[in-house]
Amino acid sequence: MMEVVNFILDSLVFPGLLFASLIGLLYIGIDRKVGAHMQNRIGPPIWQEFLDVGKLLSKEDITPAAAQTSVFTAAPLVALGAAVTVMLLLPITSAQPALKTVADLIVIIYLLNIPAICIMLGGYSSGSPFGAVGAGRYVVQLFSYEFIFILAIIAVVVRVGDLNLPTIVGYQAQQGWLVLDWRILPAVIAALIAAQAKLLRVPFDIPEAHTEIVAGPLTEYSGPRLAIWRIAYDVETIVVAGLLVALFFGGPTDWVIGSIKIPGIVDFLIKILAIVLLTTTLRNIMARLRIDQALKFFWTYVALLAIISLVLVLVVP
Amino acid sequence: MTFIVPIGPQHPALKEPVYFRFETKGEEIVNLDFRLGYVHRGIERAMQERTYLHNIYLSERICGICNVGHTTTYCQAIEQLAGIEVPDRARFIRTILCELERIHSHLLWAGIAAHEIGFDTLFMLFWRDRELVLDLKEMISGNRQMAASNTLGGVRRDVKPEHVPKILGTLDKLEKATKKYISLCTSDRTILARCVGVGVLPKSDAKKLCTVGPTARASGVDVDIRRDDPYEAYDEISFDVITTPGGDVFARVVVRLLELLESIKISRQAVEALPKGPLRVKIAPKIEPNEAVERVEMPRGELLYYAISNGTDKPERVRIRTPTYANIPSLKPMFVGGTIAEIPIVLASIDPCFACTDRVALVDSHTDKTRIVSLRELRRWKG
Repeated sequence: MMEVVNFILDSLVFPGLLFASLIGLLYIGIDRKVGAHMQNRIGPPIWQEFLDVGKLLSKEDITPAAAQTSVFTAAPLVALGAAVTVMLLLPITSAQPALKTVADLIVIIYLLNIPAICIMLGGYSSGSPFGAVGAGRYVVQLFSYEFIFILAIIAVVVRVGDLNLPTIVGYQAQQGWLVLDWRILPAVIAALIAAQAKLLRVPFDIPEAHTEIVAGPLTEYSGPRLAIWRIAYDVETIVVAGLLVALFFGGPTDWVIGSIKIPGIVDFLIKILAIVLLTTTLRNIMARLRIDQALKFFWTYVALLAIISLVLVLVVP
Repeated sequence: MTFIVPIGPQHPALKEPVYFRFETKGEEIVNLDFRLGYVHRGIERAMQERTYLHNIYLSERICGICNVGHTTTYCQAIEQLAGIEVPDRARFIRTILCELERIHSHLLWAGIAAHEIGFDTLFMLFWRDRELVLDLKEMISGNRQMAASNTLGGVRRDVKPEHVPKILGTLDKLEKATKKYISLCTSDRTILARCVGVGVLPKSDAKKLCTVGPTARASGVDVDIRRDDPYEAYDEISFDVITTPGGDVFARVVVRLLELLESIKISRQAVEALPKGPLRVKIAPKIEPNEAVERVEMPRGELLYYAISNGTDKPERVRIRTPTYANIPSLKPMFVGGTIAEIPIVLASIDPCFACTDRVALVDSHTDKTRIVSLRELRRWKG
């Protein structure tokens, strides 16, 4: 009985839906504020995302006549579910994740792809040409970044010799962060660039390029369903950043300053924020690429980085 | 199989309503069709109903961005009809205002172009520096946007001696900023990736389709009304006409950014050489039958006014040809063969202004005859 209650609390409150949404919305709010300052604007208050989502939740929900209603409705919910599930599998407070069942990196990679697939399904099912074009672009983009993301993770797995995230975090607690390992460093850069594409940020916001195809797959969404998309996107952002932190930046570490013990979660959240702010910086200093340019970029330079790293890990003991 | 991508009448890439229908194969554009007329306002007709003085304000409202250009051309046309000469000081002040307007329009355009390729930071920075010019315009004319400074026979407001150092100081600041932007736009990898070789308009096409303004100059066509048919004070000022042979979007970016430097140069010369004298001469309300054509180089290209007077205080007819009207046909060679991702930046690269462009003619498609309908008929007309 206790286990069931714990499981429900884990998935709905901490570190599940509620916690993940709060942190996600807050971090994207910070991202918007910092981005605005980079652009010499004042920008919205950092709780603007909460206001936006609240407003959307209270608005009319419109389904286009041409849409496949069931898929159109299910897509945002499944995406949010997948993103929150990854949150349960990440080591947040300590090396151990909330969900202690055996679920390794392969499951996390699968789950992280579900929001992307949902966006495509939502776009195709919306019956709008912008949705279809955006979904088509997303497919191409997925094929550009996903393989490289996986390659970078494989480099870590080969280095540590284990597919479990807690083991990887434990390894880093003893041997130092993997980002400081010169063999892994190219993989870290490749993974950060792939994350930029995964989170649809400039220069890789091609599937939802605002001036070209309105909002891409999300064009026809409105009201509560758009709000769920926003939450799903925000949670996905911190989840991807969290995975990078766990893989390369040591995961949650306890710090003791003076006599005060700072819990690992604070450390983890600060590291996530640092990664989110890195993506904010990147998205503010570049123009958007075309989809063919993005594909070429990933399969030449970024793939090369990931492969170099993998080869180094395999060859140099 | 081709697939229709509709752009407009409402679309984030368009600042005004216009409808583009792109036939695409995957991401490639194979054909396009466009439909104008969503913002037709009937200004040419309305001008026939109002006095010459009243029409200045109407012509100013044809285009919000290039309002000084419109009133300058209109006033020149009417002054030519009446056969009067504008005082020297007024000619120079008009020149200064025209050039300040070109600077603000080009900065506005550069910001929008940056936004179209997803570079929002650059967009904000361009518009931040545009505020400097708007402040100058406000200082000289009293208004940030709608200058309302030109009038028949001269200008209404003077450039005061205490304004001159301020104008020169701001121009220096702008020159510095522009040079920074030029080095940024010609070196940033992502900007180059999006602009070089995109939306190419060859010189032959540009000549054949009568392209005007920076769009033509970026294709290597050496036209500039300021030099070819000088008006106001341009014949007393030295400046270069910027042309580049590229013909792509990048060439249009470079031409406009370099024109900013030329405009700063012209404004500086005009401010320094400002002659003394009266601001305006009187003009009789009624003008004898006559006709006149005036051309002005606007930020977007050649603007043409043709006016006929009939002895009353109202014009018989005023015909306006705006630069976008001349540039619309050249969109087709730019688009065909490109991709959907290029639509916004290529469309923006001609700096379109559709509200100025809309004209209405009712054509019977069976007999090819045009006809005129009255306002009452038009109101009752269904479809």
